Amino acid sequence: MKVALLSESPADEAVLRELVAAVLGGSPAWSAAGLRARGWPSVVQVLPAVIRHLHFNTDTDTLVVTADADDSVVHTAAHEAPGYFHPQCRLCQLRAVFRRTTRKLPPARGRNRVLRGVGVAVPALEAWLLCGRDATVGESAWIEGQSAGRAPYTRAELKWRVYGTDRPSLPYEIRRAVEEIRRHGRDTRRLEHDFPGFGVLARDLREDQAMLHGHPP
Amino acid sequence: MIASVDFKNFKALRATALQLAPFNLIIGANGSGKTSLIQAVERLHALARLPLATPGPARRAGGPRISFRFNSPFAAVEARLECVSEASCDLLQIRPAHAPEWPALQAQLGRIRSYQLDYGAMTAPAAPGASPDAPLSPSGANLAAVLAAWRDRHPAEFAALVAEVLRVLPEYSGLELVRGPAGIVTLGLRLGPGGDLVTADNLSQGTLALLAILALAHDPAPPAVLCIEEIDRGVHPRRLREVRDAFYRLSHPSASGLKRPAVQVIATTHSPYLLDLFRDHPEEIVIAQKQGRAARFERLADRADLAELLSEGSLGDMWYSGILGGVPDES
Repeated sequence: MKVALLSESPADEAVLRELVAAVLGGSPAWSAAGLRARGWPSVVQVLPAVIRHLHFNTDTDTLVVTADADDSVVHTAAHEAPGYFHPQCRLCQLRAVFRRTTRKLPPARGRNRVLRGVGVAVPALEAWLLCGRDATVGESAWIEGQSAGRAPYTRAELKWRVYGTDRPSLPYEIRRAVEEIRRHGRDTRRLEHDFPGFGVLARDLREDQAMLHGHPP
Repeated sequence: MIASVDFKNFKALRATALQLAPFNLIIGANGSGKTSLIQAVERLHALARLPLATPGPARRAGGPRISFRFNSPFAAVEARLECVSEASCDLLQIRPAHAPEWPALQAQLGRIRSYQLDYGAMTAPAAPGASPDAPLSPSGANLAAVLAAWRDRHPAEFAALVAEVLRVLPEYSGLELVRGPAGIVTLGLRLGPGGDLVTADNLSQGTLALLAILALAHDPAPPAVLCIEEIDRGVHPRRLREVRDAFYRLSHPSASGLKRPAVQVIATTHSPYLLDLFRDHPEEIVIAQKQGRAARFERLADRADLAELLSEGSLGDMWYSGILGGVPDES
């Protein structure tokens, strides 16, 4: 299985590599290292071109894309209903871009389309890094806070909790992020439970892996 | 160190004030006062080295005037520059006139440095300075000589700098300084282990810029205030995070685990990509707004709708769109 990553920074990419390997049970082959988007909505703007590029110019099987939710509507189980699309949900938007883009593509390089692995970190990737270490951080806490009109923590607070500063250098940020995500080892069940925005990414990846092995879900 | 600057009739800055933070990134159209701010700080530095003057009779009423206030322990002192013309500010007065803090403040003002890196100058071999502790010159022309002096006199800091250069520029395996006749130093980067030595005149502008910026960030004797123009110039957008981090190392040393006083940084840019990196710190962004011939400074963090704007796009895109101001008048 050959996987490409579209992320916002080298630190995010380092985390995603760890997570993808954990979900797949081993490190896959990596394609076209270092595809970057400049945050939201840049990721939605570049995604169609990235998908087309990977489809026609590479042998990538799966493209993994993540974005931070920030203050957007959080993806919930209700959004998983067939045909449902929430215009303010970033996960729904990313999936819609995948659908629209891949629908029009002719087969290339022996496959019909590049498969999808989409996740959204609520509200930011640092929340995933705190999973299992800080019990106050989780999607349910964030959603409750949104409902009450009072966020339980800010992006800056999450950075402080992970890095001890809101201005980490890039190498330190990568080192700390990888340290934290490696706490989970190969077992991502807690992360999938506490962060459904990661859970759907893990599910995508497993389905992609099964499909490539001739076992479509 | 500098808490605020208040401009009256100085070039495009007709009547505006700016509170300064430890790190300040100034954005705005050409001719909107970004460089004028740095020139004012440079002038303060230059005049603070001279004995304080008393005003002569020829001062023009309503003429250009720049007032500086300072952070603790100099909060009680005001330094005022008065100018005979927009281009010539030659009088520095302090208030109160005999402030006991002045000698200590004067020493700090002597530690202001200003940079406008000149890649052509940096490519030339550098003669050793009169003092081995000479800092990097405003154009960066003595970069090779400064690094050679650090290698000899500050080996730990030099080693840290080299390690950082090689991390940021992983295609290289070593930074080399070759002394020639009369002590002239040539700078080069070694391409991979055992590879060719790429001398400064063959390095790209962006590589030289990163070298100079990393050198500033690892200076064993950093200044009190560092002004620098166009910190993004020549640097690939994906390397701008390293540029930002280098200046954060100066302005927020504790975030890098360093135990030394902070350096106040005043930098300018025209790069939306660099601006994107300040999403979490909009308080560090200053927008120079120009309307007609007059310009004023605004802090991005003062915008009431900032959170809403950030949810809809990147800071760089917002700036380019014109929503934030700080764009040229195209009408």
